[in-house]
Amino acid sequence: MTEANNEKMIEKELSFGPVHPALIEPYRIRLFVNDEIVEDCEININMAYRGMEKLFDGLPVEKALLIAERVCGICSHVHAWNAVRVIECGLGIEVPPRADYIRVLVQEFQRITSHLIFFGHAFEVVGHETLAMRALLLREQFMDLMQYVGGNRVMPSVPIIGGIRPRADLTDSLKKTILERCDAFEAKYAQYVQRILDDPLVISRVNGIGLLTKEDAIKYHATGPTGRASGWRYDLRTEMKEYKPFDFNVIVLDGCDTKDRVVDRALEVLESLKIIHQVVKNLPDGPVVNRNWVAKEMPFTTAYLETYRGEVMHTYGLDHQGLVRNYQIRTPTITNLAAMEHACVGDHVTEAILTIASCDPCLTCCTRTEVVDSGKRRTMTDYEIVRKYGWRK
Amino acid sequence: MTLKSTSRKKAIHVMLCYTGGCNGCDIEVVNALLSPRYDLEQYGVMLTWNPREADVLIVSGVVSWQMLEPLKKIYSLIPEPKAVVAVGACACNGNVYKNLVGDIKVNEDVYAPVESVIPVDVKVPGCAPRPEEIIQGAVKGLPKLMGAP
Repeated sequence: MTEANNEKMIEKELSFGPVHPALIEPYRIRLFVNDEIVEDCEININMAYRGMEKLFDGLPVEKALLIAERVCGICSHVHAWNAVRVIECGLGIEVPPRADYIRVLVQEFQRITSHLIFFGHAFEVVGHETLAMRALLLREQFMDLMQYVGGNRVMPSVPIIGGIRPRADLTDSLKKTILERCDAFEAKYAQYVQRILDDPLVISRVNGIGLLTKEDAIKYHATGPTGRASGWRYDLRTEMKEYKPFDFNVIVLDGCDTKDRVVDRALEVLESLKIIHQVVKNLPDGPVVNRNWVAKEMPFTTAYLETYRGEVMHTYGLDHQGLVRNYQIRTPTITNLAAMEHACVGDHVTEAILTIASCDPCLTCCTRTEVVDSGKRRTMTDYEIVRKYGWRK
Repeated sequence: MTLKSTSRKKAIHVMLCYTGGCNGCDIEVVNALLSPRYDLEQYGVMLTWNPREADVLIVSGVVSWQMLEPLKKIYSLIPEPKAVVAVGACACNGNVYKNLVGDIKVNEDVYAPVESVIPVDVKVPGCAPRPEEIIQGAVKGLPKLMGAP
């Protein structure tokens, strides 16, 4: 934007990060402001680069799944599940229906915890501590349930190739606990959401801020609740075979602003509760894992999954020894942040961080690429490409 | 016991420096310090983001090379006596990022453990450690703050 219009003078630059109270994760934001109005914004997300994708190369596939789960600490189940789905699609491994149900169950648990940590973060940025603390308190219910199912609050490690770990199988007492906790949560959560919507101060901070039109959302490929709050009906769950048995609605709002991005997530939590009830009630009997498979040569296979923030892609192939080759991951935050960089332009400077936080950025997921500058050739990162050309060139 | 350590005992300020793990420990630390269930604030332990008023530095995650200099700078800005708590398997020994590598043998993008960058007093292992364990680790750092050698 600055290169296109050289005559425009930009007075001041405000920079945040990498360690800053408003940003829990390390990233760097540069806001170019003119008379307190944001004229341009630049986000540097490369602070948490760990060289993830190179680590996978040459590992046996079961070991690679351990790293795949540790791509992100908020959506750990998604990455583990999607990495497993790649090899299941590629080698044609049958998954027992009971295993699919429990994978969906943990996915929806984590969706709820992820959305509640978003409320915690967003209201912390707004400055409303009470709402943030209440979100963290509500979240503990589901962290407990994840610990009962998987054995760990953050990394449940539920999916393995061909099914789930036998440890994560649901017993009758666990089913009863899940239903009780969900009912207790639903009542408290309804009060909580009502409290948000009735609060004139919070609504005045988020209403009409950070506009992202439907065209822009499609151009930057802002997936997940960020895109759905801009009126773009795009949810991979409607097409996935794992979600076929369940009845749920896709929440699409057309307000295009920060308020709708918050409300969209608030309503999605209720849909997740609906799915959890259906899983527990209709859970089929049978084995939970199919160990009848052998790792052999596999061409490059891609799997897509709807995470809590949008669409995630995993792709890899196996060589003749059954070792992983050319692992690639694309996470939703890459495209969502590019959209938010666009959305915060034109607003007052105090709203910019809130707008950026409203796409629920998860920087550790998306930071796996880096600019390679070796003298003559310079390779661009995914993020730079999206920022410059939009998602569809 | 000096006046400084007496007053410090009542108000310990903790700074969280997230250097590039997977975000899980980071949220568990915030959970342990802030969330109403574990709530360390009731004992006078506050979360701060200003290194000059911090007493305890909690480091979570392997140190990526972009965060190497900021971490050293934050450590040098904290006034003496200070304690450093390394939370999580990444900060203690590098976890999968350092130890589970394929063909490249050595992952040169990350510095792990945190001990190789700044001195560490307390280690809290686990991937991810539970909030109870993080609280225990923070308590173990207290003697250092009180002036123990």
